[in-house]
Amino acid sequence: VYPPLSIPLGDVDELFDVKNAYYIGSYQQCINEAQKVKPSTPEKEIERDMFLYRAYIAQRKFAVVLDDIKPSSSAELQAVRMFAEYRSSENKRDAIVADLDKKMAKSVDAANTTFLLMAASIYYHEMNTDAALRTLHQGDSLECMAMTIQVLLSLDRVDLARKELKKMQEQDEDATLTQLATAWVNIAVGGEKLQDAYYIFQEMSDKYSSTLLLLNGQAACYMAQNKWEEAEGVLQEALDKDSSHPETLINLIVLTQHLGKAPEVTNRYLSQLKDAHRAHPFLRDYLAKENEFDRLTMQYAPTATA
Amino acid sequence: MLTKFETKSARVKGLSFHPKRPWILASLHNGVIQLWDYRMCTLIDKFDEHDGPVRGIDFHKQQPLFVSGGDDYKIKVWNYKLRRCLFTLLGHLDYIRTTFFHHEYPWILSASDDQTIRIWNWQSRTCVCVLTGHNHYVMCAQFHPSEDLVVSASLDQTVRVWDISGLRKKNLSPGAVETEVRGISGVDLFGASDAVVKHVLEGHDRGVNWAAFHPSMPLIVSGADDRQVKIWRMNESKAWELDTCRGHYNNVSCAVFHPRQELILSNSEDKSIRVWDMSKRTGVQTFRRDHDRFWVLGAHPNLNLFAAGHDSGMLVFKLERERPAYAVYGNMLYYVKDRFLRQLDFNSSKDTAVMQLRSGSKFPVFSMSYNPAENAVLLCTRATNLENSTYDLYSIPKECDSQNPDAPEGKRSSGLTAVWVARNRFAVLDRMHSLLIKNLKNEIVKKVQVPSCEEIFYAGTGSLLLRDADGVTLFDVQQKRSLATVKIAKVKYVVWSADTSHVALLAKHVFQSVPSAIMICNRKLESLCNIHENIRVKSGAWDESGVFIYTTSNHIKYALTSGDHGIIRTLDLPIYVTRVRGNSVYCLDRECRPRVLTIDPTEYRFKLALVNRKYEEVLHMVRNAKLVGQSIIAYLQKKGYPEVALHFVKDEKTRFSLALECGNIEVALEAAKALDERSCWERLGEAALLQGHHQVVEMCYQRTKNFDKLTFLYLITGNLAKLRKMMKIAEIRKDMSGHYQGALYLGDVSERVRILKNCGQKSLAYLTAATHGMDEEAEALKETFDPEKETVPEVDPNAQLLQPPPPINPLDTNWPLLTVSKGFFEGAIAAKGKAGQMAADLDMDAPGGEGWGEDAELQLDEDGFMDAQDGLGDDGGVGKEEGGGWEVEEDLDLPPELDMPAGAGGGTEDGFFVPPTKGTSPTQMWCNNSQLPVDHILAGSFETAMRLLHDQVGVVNFGPYKSLFMQTLSRGRTCYLGLPSLPCLRGHPQRNWKDCGAKQGLPAVGLRLSDLIARLQQCYQLTTAGRFEEAVERFRAILLSVPLLVVDNKQEIAEAQQLITICREYIVGLTMETERKKLPKDTLEQQKRLCEMAAYFTHCSLQPVHMVLVLRTALNLFFKLRNFKTAAGFARRLLELGPKPEVAQQTRKILAACEKTPTDAHQLNYDPHNPFDLCAASFVPLYRGRPVEKCPLSGACYCPTYKGQVCRVTQVTEIGKDVIGLRVSALQFR
Repeated sequence: VYPPLSIPLGDVDELFDVKNAYYIGSYQQCINEAQKVKPSTPEKEIERDMFLYRAYIAQRKFAVVLDDIKPSSSAELQAVRMFAEYRSSENKRDAIVADLDKKMAKSVDAANTTFLLMAASIYYHEMNTDAALRTLHQGDSLECMAMTIQVLLSLDRVDLARKELKKMQEQDEDATLTQLATAWVNIAVGGEKLQDAYYIFQEMSDKYSSTLLLLNGQAACYMAQNKWEEAEGVLQEALDKDSSHPETLINLIVLTQHLGKAPEVTNRYLSQLKDAHRAHPFLRDYLAKENEFDRLTMQYAPTATA
Repeated sequence: MLTKFETKSARVKGLSFHPKRPWILASLHNGVIQLWDYRMCTLIDKFDEHDGPVRGIDFHKQQPLFVSGGDDYKIKVWNYKLRRCLFTLLGHLDYIRTTFFHHEYPWILSASDDQTIRIWNWQSRTCVCVLTGHNHYVMCAQFHPSEDLVVSASLDQTVRVWDISGLRKKNLSPGAVETEVRGISGVDLFGASDAVVKHVLEGHDRGVNWAAFHPSMPLIVSGADDRQVKIWRMNESKAWELDTCRGHYNNVSCAVFHPRQELILSNSEDKSIRVWDMSKRTGVQTFRRDHDRFWVLGAHPNLNLFAAGHDSGMLVFKLERERPAYAVYGNMLYYVKDRFLRQLDFNSSKDTAVMQLRSGSKFPVFSMSYNPAENAVLLCTRATNLENSTYDLYSIPKECDSQNPDAPEGKRSSGLTAVWVARNRFAVLDRMHSLLIKNLKNEIVKKVQVPSCEEIFYAGTGSLLLRDADGVTLFDVQQKRSLATVKIAKVKYVVWSADTSHVALLAKHVFQSVPSAIMICNRKLESLCNIHENIRVKSGAWDESGVFIYTTSNHIKYALTSGDHGIIRTLDLPIYVTRVRGNSVYCLDRECRPRVLTIDPTEYRFKLALVNRKYEEVLHMVRNAKLVGQSIIAYLQKKGYPEVALHFVKDEKTRFSLALECGNIEVALEAAKALDERSCWERLGEAALLQGHHQVVEMCYQRTKNFDKLTFLYLITGNLAKLRKMMKIAEIRKDMSGHYQGALYLGDVSERVRILKNCGQKSLAYLTAATHGMDEEAEALKETFDPEKETVPEVDPNAQLLQPPPPINPLDTNWPLLTVSKGFFEGAIAAKGKAGQMAADLDMDAPGGEGWGEDAELQLDEDGFMDAQDGLGDDGGVGKEEGGGWEVEEDLDLPPELDMPAGAGGGTEDGFFVPPTKGTSPTQMWCNNSQLPVDHILAGSFETAMRLLHDQVGVVNFGPYKSLFMQTLSRGRTCYLGLPSLPCLRGHPQRNWKDCGAKQGLPAVGLRLSDLIARLQQCYQLTTAGRFEEAVERFRAILLSVPLLVVDNKQEIAEAQQLITICREYIVGLTMETERKKLPKDTLEQQKRLCEMAAYFTHCSLQPVHMVLVLRTALNLFFKLRNFKTAAGFARRLLELGPKPEVAQQTRKILAACEKTPTDAHQLNYDPHNPFDLCAASFVPLYRGRPVEKCPLSGACYCPTYKGQVCRVTQVTEIGKDVIGLRVSALQFR
């Protein structure tokens, strides 16, 4: 005979499914869950909406966000709207950033984590990592830390990323975000950690559902371990889910070459990418490199001509 | 102790296991003998002839017999097949306590309260010997299992051992019958010499109730009213007491040796069964009942089964679980056997011990959970007292010696069950029934509050199944909440499908009251089906098609998720399924031996295909499998697939009824024709009528000679001609009323009149004729009336004409039916003919294979390369050395990076946040770590890459390299997504990722020498096809790629260089040939130039296939130019290459012609005997010793005038440039 046990309700995050779906990149599911859940408090309701709209942003459905969030909406949602506006129109970006700079210059409500996240996201897109990190530094939520880690990794500061990760792990080691951040750091660290990173992605797709985010994570791990055939399976699955997902295409460009496939195969993926995602950083870099190549070529010439 | 079966009855005084079948006999105090099937838990039979308690009971080992002895002084021998007592042996003068068969001779041994032991011959049905000597009741007497000995126990406090060899000799000697006859008359006289007391064992100080021999050792165990169990040893001359087991606190009723282990079992009136360790003489287990005194024990001769009889029934039990602990991952089975963890590779059947387990527990491993990521196992051990259960966490050693595996230090903690929930976490259900999550160090990470829970099971990453009293709950460990619950009591095992999409919950069997249950649920724990088994369900596994294969005590069965289930085959002994693949069931048996059983999966595959509506599979099986059977047909009918069943059936009768059932008139007609039975035609007629298929209806009526119905059919279909015919037939048949009816239907009045007249209905005939205005006829009839006797009837003046309506449009086709799309089966059957054509198509395709064969041949030509690839294996050592060399240089590069302020990112102490500076990216490291151009391109450092290519191989024109550069760059970095809506993070695949650490990285190259070599094939094919310009382009692409290789050893460096040479030779030769073809050939000089170039071409190093072509061209040109001497040279070279027969023949002819006039008509700039290089720009020979300029990459030769220009072969390098040389391996920098 054992004492009857019951689940303490306070321990359960009622928005778990919403958040979890968002972080693992299952945006439609996030939206579905958000529409299903009945938040118990007004704060939770705002939090739910925040994830709902961010999921729309991740799906590039900016109009929904811009239309839905009214000037009367809460400060958190305004921040989300700002990010949506930034993402939606290229020509307004400078103005939005200037406006944001002004806001940041004044004292910021550090409790409005959403604002910090959105501001940092904009700065990160602007490649202004300093400002992004400065902004994130003011927050202490798991997501702020996760974003800090991402920025640090893009700066190749694995050492600092690991420190930040340690903080996350102290706060909640099992949280989805902590797990994901662990995987990012592990990929950057490389070596034996790659397998750990792989397991994190794989376990999540096992447990929840396999998303493009998780699949590309797995593929990155495989490729970092030179397991090209294995990566092919994962990327194929990703391609089946969405045939024009830019990161999948980029990874396929890498993969097909390592598998020794004909150059035409690789070029097909490159063309697809050029077709659908002109503004992707990868292509920006690619074009810049082409120009650089042409410029450098000029420096060489034969001593005699026929 | 595990109770397998229990009965409730009057007091059980005797028990006997059947040696082969799952049966046990129980003799009861109320005179009844029961025969039970303990596996099916059913009472098979009852034998009620004894008067009063039955104490002795024993199965015969071979015959369908058993013997019983009771308080009615009777020994009865029964045949359980005939279900009756065969005969009764009389002789004892008091209660009979035990009766046993001899294992070999036709003897029965009985012990009685009359103080005697008797031996009976059950064939002659006589007493052959009486053993006297005990001076109180003899409670038990048993034969020795192999020797001529008997042991007996008596209330006179002794145990006696008797030698009965005399009796055996007497019975086996010739003339035994005679002796026996003599024996019968003189039992008392000769008994003494037949059986003598050998040993008298004294030691018990109260009456002895039971004594038994050890099955193999010279030991005896006895139990007595002094509450002791004693072990005795004996030899030829004496017997002595070995030890005493004390513990029972009332009379010991029975004591037996464990047939296979060093254990003794005893039971007693103190209501307990005790198990004793023979060597330690200590009690190891005690099993108590509340109210029932125990009276008897039985041990199964072959299985680990025991039975005990008590005041209110009996129980069949095992001492310990025989289920091995195992876990399956991928192709590997892990299982515990004899303190070893073993690993079985299903594919190779390689079975190895991977580690030795820590000893210390007397209990076997109960369950196992395996973690493939960390190669670790959790082994749970369950103690009798659950609270003392423990688990061990082991990390399986990576390498092991199977003969003498390591015994790694495990981590042991207390806990009921431990299962993995993630690669680095496991859950433990502790003895307080709370849930702990632990890490790989066995440290508690967190405690989770769970709903009441008595057992936990694996449920995929991050989840568990929790079992409580009446259900199973899917619990998310991370969120700490229940996700779903399903009601099912006493789940014992949980089996997940490989993709964890389905789970089978196997629930416990509680004797007859609660049958075993299998519930199949999906991932969300929604119940899909429930299956009940009257017999214990032992184990199960999912096959690759999603069918659950499970075993009961005596069957292998299947279950579909739809709930369909059935028997696949029977089993002699229980097995534990570990995996199912195709028609192989992998399992462990009770001895923990891995076995593979073959099953016929056709039936469940078939049903699965039906459920999934995969009709082409169904059809395939119908056509190819030997599935046909009444059960399948019945199944199909029951499940509503008569159309499928139809295709199974050859038996026309079944076919007919199935066809009717699915309304397939054609098939039914076919079957009816074959059967040609009246009842069939009738049924078919009915069915066809319902469908309006009146042509078939007509045929049916015809066959059944149902004229009435046929006539009516013709009427309603307006078929007047046939209707008239029917009328004629009726006339012939003398069927008057049918005939008349026909006439009525036809509206044929004169016929009616005729009929009426013929049958003597004169007045009716007259009336008919008169009414219809057939005056002549009426008149004639009227005259026949005799006015005396007959009156001419009045014609109704108001008569109305009654005529059947004439058919406007006779129905000669069937009634229109709705067009039903043909079912798959009909279509498939109809397509039978087409299938044949398909097969033919395949044959047509077959010759295509030869094309492949040719390819293979082509590959064989490149022997050099094949060998080279073989050599790939032996370069490991070299590569490593080189790595070491690099490290030295690396250290020199390092310091600047170490200068980076460590606290750059952490300057928070002052309250100001100082953003960190950028770190060193892996791509920068790549540039630092390598001097190979490709590493720099991959790193995106085009500037340094170009510098390297310039310095190493003299590239000055980078234009053609652009696409190679861009392509290479694009494979340098992968992508992975961090947070949503943020730019992705970049991964850096490195070729030395395993041991490069943070600073020594080098990029994964992605361009392999073998790939380039493979690409040669394409170029060769283009060359053969004569597409020279394309071929040149491809050769050049290969050539340009060579400097972008990274190889590991000298051999590969040499191969890379060889590859360049091949490309160069082809490019030079093919460009020259292209050039030659463009040249005019009008003048002799021009023709001479053409011949020269053709001759030079033969000096390029080409594949034999191509050389043959080149030589033939040159040969032809020179022959035409009448330069026979040189032509003959070409001809000889050509023949040396062994061309095709017809080419060889022609060549020989030309050669013969040339040899007639071995001279050259014209002087050419070609001397085949003087070695030369060919200028790749001007295509003139550069004979040895003349100045030559070379291309630094391709090695193509040029006249010195071309120095400084771009190489014609590579189109990127500068001719005659001074360079370092090709660098494709770190080896070249040492």
